[in-house]
Amino acid sequence: MKLAPAGPVRSPASRKAFVELEDLSMVYEAAPDSRLLALDRVGCAIAESEFCTIVGPSGCGKSTLLMLTAGLYRPSAGRVVIDGTPVTGPWHGVGMVFQRDLLLEWRTALDNVLLPIEVKKLPRPAFEDRARSLLRLVGLAGFENAFPEQLSVGMRQRVAICRALIHDPRLLLMDEPFAAVDLLTREKLGLDLLRLTDEHPKTVLFVTHSVEEAVLLSDEVLVFGPRPGRILRRLENDLPKPRSLASRSDVRFHRLVDEIRAVFQAAGVLS
Amino acid sequence: MRRNAAVLVVYGVLLAAWAVAGSLPSVPAFVLPSPLAILHRVARDPGTLVFHSLVTLQEVVFGFLLAVLLGIPLGVLIVWSRLLERLFYPALVALQAIPKVALAPILVIWFGFGPTSKVTLAFVTALFPIVIDTVVGMSQTPPEMIHLMRSLGASGLQIFTKVRLIAAAPQVFGGFKIGITLAMVGAVVGEFIAANSGLGYYLLIANNAFDAPLLFGIVILLSLLSVALFYLIELIEMLVLPRPLRRSAWKIQPGAGA
Repeated sequence: MKLAPAGPVRSPASRKAFVELEDLSMVYEAAPDSRLLALDRVGCAIAESEFCTIVGPSGCGKSTLLMLTAGLYRPSAGRVVIDGTPVTGPWHGVGMVFQRDLLLEWRTALDNVLLPIEVKKLPRPAFEDRARSLLRLVGLAGFENAFPEQLSVGMRQRVAICRALIHDPRLLLMDEPFAAVDLLTREKLGLDLLRLTDEHPKTVLFVTHSVEEAVLLSDEVLVFGPRPGRILRRLENDLPKPRSLASRSDVRFHRLVDEIRAVFQAAGVLS
Repeated sequence: MRRNAAVLVVYGVLLAAWAVAGSLPSVPAFVLPSPLAILHRVARDPGTLVFHSLVTLQEVVFGFLLAVLLGIPLGVLIVWSRLLERLFYPALVALQAIPKVALAPILVIWFGFGPTSKVTLAFVTALFPIVIDTVVGMSQTPPEMIHLMRSLGASGLQIFTKVRLIAAAPQVFGGFKIGITLAMVGAVVGEFIAANSGLGYYLLIANNAFDAPLLFGIVILLSLLSVALFYLIELIEMLVLPRPLRRSAWKIQPGAGA
């Protein structure tokens, strides 16, 4: 159990594959005679502490991919390997954030953050300080005892992010976490997230519709194509760190955004 | 405060209009007794009214509690299992479709003239809204929340006790409020069919005696008792539920589900 934030150092040794997706396919049986191929032999490896964004149009199976990675769905074919072990059920070291913040209205911000601790039956007092410091890190000091209804959409999503980090998971799965937030808050939240994952290194799989967001936040971008969902292109992101709003004016930012758009164009997604 | 005053004024005016209409020579007293005449009649023998009220109240409360005790688990089971849903749901709807008056004679045959048949009728009438609201309330939890809980290794029981049941509470209390007023209807209908005590029985007595003021007095009392029970449930809701739940469990968020 690590309470103090670890240093932001990324040793080269940690670059080994942490999440491996091996030929993952997912078929939904909508009706006896209608099968929907949501994912078609998706394969890739994500290194430890890497921030990997998955960008693609609606219905390209991005959410399905996250569910499979978390071990919440069983793949129709292929397998997920995390840290060298095949995933057969809900994987223990995962934190999840969805488009909806899913805060429990009857719990205060602090109690919402501590939900995973309760579910995992860990000693609450030992994690209370950590919860408070996480809330402070996202700018919510003083809101520990506020109920979700008293918070703005952006603040609520920050609480949800703290909840995903409280049990110090090694893997963070985020399914369009900022889609419900206005554009200005959205970039701020994204940069806050980068700061958090710098202080508490995590392997992140981050699903988004937004090409700009995918580039601004990631070490690596997986470009997904629709029906059946598959990886069209995998791009290393060389945008220098630390990222800020100024990173958006970097030439490399625009080059990557254009490159991703070109991939979509070639696949007939944008036309 | 001003709003309360407005409410009082409206009721005062209605009451005055009634008093005036009741005292018009063209309106016979047995058609519309004046509020004062009703008050006089009720004050003459309050003991009997209290006695019958207590009988009815007892039937209502027991019938309602029974509906709560069975209705919530039934609702939970229906949400829990597709099979049980297919098993119970049509039966429940069929039960609801029967006019409860039609059920009363059968229940009297089964359970006799005493309070048991009325308790049963109150229970049967109150059951439906409680089960339905439990089902609706429990189904409100978004699937992602269940994914989130499962990703943390939560058991089905944990998901149930920490999320679904609490999230359903406002809806369930809504079912209680409808249920308790329906239980009152059920009990009185039961007393109408066959009884030797209770406000429904006393109402028939007053009717047979052409005692219009008493008849009106009992109807008003029935209504007041229902209102009191309704607000009693609301009071319990206020005391039991944490503040943010007193309106709606899952707030609609802008852009959510878009």
